[in-house]
Amino acid sequence: MDLVRILVVDDEEDFLETLVNRLNRRGMSAQGALSGREALKMMEEKEFDVVVLDVRMPGMDGLEVLREVKNRWPFVEVILLTGHGSVESGIEGMRLGAFDYVMKPADLEVLIEKIQQARERKILRES
Amino acid sequence: MEGEMPKVLLVDDEERFRVTTARLLGVRGFQVGTAESGVEALEELERNPYDVVVLDVKMPGMSGIEALAEIKRRQPQVEVLILTGHASVDAAVEIMRLGGCEYLLKPCSMDELVEKIERALERKAMKEGSEEKP
Amino acid sequence: MLKSTIELARYGIPWLGPAMAFLGGLALLAEGKGQWPAIAVIFGSVLSAGGIYSLLRSLRKGEKERALLDVRMLQSHKLASLGELTAGIAHEINNPLAIIGREAEWLEHLLSTMPPAEGVPRKELLESVREVGVQVNRCREITQNLLSFARKMEPIFQKVDVNRLVEDMVKLVETETQGKGIEIVRDYQQPMEPIMTDPPGLRQVMLNLLNNARQAIEGRGQITIRTRALEDGRVQIAVEDTGCGIPREHLPRIFDPFFTTKAHGKGTGLGLSICHGIVDRLGGRIWVRSEPGLGSTFVVELPAKPKRAS
Repeated sequence: MDLVRILVVDDEEDFLETLVNRLNRRGMSAQGALSGREALKMMEEKEFDVVVLDVRMPGMDGLEVLREVKNRWPFVEVILLTGHGSVESGIEGMRLGAFDYVMKPADLEVLIEKIQQARERKILRES
Repeated sequence: MEGEMPKVLLVDDEERFRVTTARLLGVRGFQVGTAESGVEALEELERNPYDVVVLDVKMPGMSGIEALAEIKRRQPQVEVLILTGHASVDAAVEIMRLGGCEYLLKPCSMDELVEKIERALERKAMKEGSEEKP
Repeated sequence: MLKSTIELARYGIPWLGPAMAFLGGLALLAEGKGQWPAIAVIFGSVLSAGGIYSLLRSLRKGEKERALLDVRMLQSHKLASLGELTAGIAHEINNPLAIIGREAEWLEHLLSTMPPAEGVPRKELLESVREVGVQVNRCREITQNLLSFARKMEPIFQKVDVNRLVEDMVKLVETETQGKGIEIVRDYQQPMEPIMTDPPGLRQVMLNLLNNARQAIEGRGQITIRTRALEDGRVQIAVEDTGCGIPREHLPRIFDPFFTTKAHGKGTGLGLSICHGIVDRLGGRIWVRSEPGLGSTFVVELPAKPKRAS
């Protein structure tokens, strides 16, 4: 079973580092990006299965990144993370093709389960 | 390779699009050949050398994807750019499986097209360069 | 004319039987040839009349239900092909759009390399041609959005714990209803077997329904979410609100695209039609019961497994 390749995108450095480390310790291959632009650049060079994306970021915001990702890498599944949970942006995010919409603080086990489900979806779609 | 105009083969079933795009590419310093279909493109590739092929994904007869596969089979050194109406899931799968050439969303501006062609040329040069190394 | 004659025949002729028997019984009585056979015939005719009446009633009811089903099926077929239609149109438009864009760029090139000539407003011509390019880009955005919309309509089936998924979405909505006088009540059937469905699709449906429920309530109120599993594995999710309800005359169009009752320009009127499209694609049904002034209940029913599409 291949390692799940995850890209976590969040402008909060501490949160990003912690989450990436914890995911790696749980046997996934996780990397982090501090901004939408950085994330897109990383995706151009390397293939990822799942992107965990904060909705509210300065510069290119989460939904813009989501749009770009869905357009250029239609197979990659995106899980949106939100610090304050707006239903409207949840609806918008799901409409734009996000796999799930999760509120912070997210329980690691729950997040991992969702990542697995997202990854499964990618595999199903590709086959 | 220096000083030589890069050769681009433009393949699209819409005549007007082919003609005008060829002119615009010519103005930008490319040597352009055209073909109306996948089959014609393959014939043209036998007759003349090309660096990059720009291929519309939806054509009657042989589809862009089939043409891509054939081109990659017969002339693997040629770089291919696919013009697609949408980054549809099926097209993306095939493109990735067939060797990851780039695709462009149609309609695209000349700037975007030229940028992608230039990147394709760079990739081609890199591949040829690395082959020459012992 | 013909239709009403046939209708008349269909619903009229069966009565001839009991009518004739009744008259026959009366005739027997009149002739005085034995009371009991006459009474039996009269009684029999009344009984058969009753039987015919209830038969005709259920026939009528069945026909009405079938007609309703036809309307609903037609609607879901229409919405199902909305995705295909949208994709078709978008792809078709992209071709002439590409040509327009190219011709505009060629015009721009010709104009910019033209030597300045008397009476030729070169600057304005260039500006105008560039604007054509800008608008072509705008059209491209639109077609790309249409195609994304159409593509999103394809479901991928995975094993889903319905209660978990519903609760996730409820928690999200709850962050916005807390402290605003709207109480959320959960009534989940436990345990519940997982079903095969499309998780993000169902999430979208739930978010839309919950959001609508929230918006329907002015001031204080309650949203109740119920999940039930039927015997054959089908699952029903109900979202009930104590909001303003839906006027009777709006009910038949509530799932139509672009139909909105939100007067203050809020909402595009696509929410419920998108829900309908998603649920339909998942092989399920969605319907609503509503009482103006009391509230509405939207019910989503999903099969345990999708039927193999033809």
